[in-house]
Amino acid sequence: MMSTVLFYFLAGFILFSAYFVVTAHNLFRCALGLIAVLLGIAGLYLLMDAQFLSAVQVTVYVGGIVVLIVYVILLVADVTQTSYPAGARWRAGVAGAICALMFCSMSWAILSAPELGKVQPDRLRSATLPEIGHSLLSLTAGGFGLAFETISVLLVAVLIGAVTVARVRAGTGEKGAKGQ
Amino acid sequence: MSGLTLQHFLVFAALLFCVGLYGLLTRRNLIGMLMAVELILNAAALNFVAFHHYLHAGEVAGVIFPLFIIAVAAAEVAIALAVVIVIFRHQGRLNVEEVGHMRH
Repeated sequence: MMSTVLFYFLAGFILFSAYFVVTAHNLFRCALGLIAVLLGIAGLYLLMDAQFLSAVQVTVYVGGIVVLIVYVILLVADVTQTSYPAGARWRAGVAGAICALMFCSMSWAILSAPELGKVQPDRLRSATLPEIGHSLLSLTAGGFGLAFETISVLLVAVLIGAVTVARVRAGTGEKGAKGQ
Repeated sequence: MSGLTLQHFLVFAALLFCVGLYGLLTRRNLIGMLMAVELILNAAALNFVAFHHYLHAGEVAGVIFPLFIIAVAAAEVAIALAVVIVIFRHQGRLNVEEVGHMRH
């Protein structure tokens, strides 16, 4: 029962923070809400015995991605600016209706699927760290060695691409930067 | 035995996905939209882990795919923030409705 209580606590915490992320006018507060959401999801991973993924979530997501987002918010945006243009109330209504409809249909589909409820409690387990490590580096069938190497190539390409895109070019870029 | 079931996690992930979708549809600030996308990606990753734990008895792919989701999210954020910096440098604002073209 302890894990059920923890689940509901974490779920409420995450949803409260997620609501904050999508509605707060101050972008910096949105980023803080995003940190809370990600930490809560790391807690949910722990509830499902996925310790490695939980650690990766905290270090890479909270420690890397969100810090990058916070840095860019401080760099480019007036953090007190409102994110909604005036008169966008109808858009929020339509978006809310679409999302509520989607949530109702998805949860109806989840709760009415019989095979999702057929879980044998003795088969509940999560992948262990040695299994994950072997699978990440094995090139045989069922291994993810090729995807692992490809993602490192992707990250290098992203590094080069981000620097190339954000570089201040002689001429046009400098003029725009001075205009701020 | 815990009282938690697969459906708990699936319904919660659906709710988180919908909150993220709501943010993506209502936000008009590029960085705000980016953070809403992060919520959606996390909901998807949570589904992977829930299925791997409850239905597939620790099949490794259920942990590997969230790892790749995190890596691709990092790549996406890096590129998107580079674009954000360029747009801000040229327009001084981040409203997506005012960004009609990427050339300058």
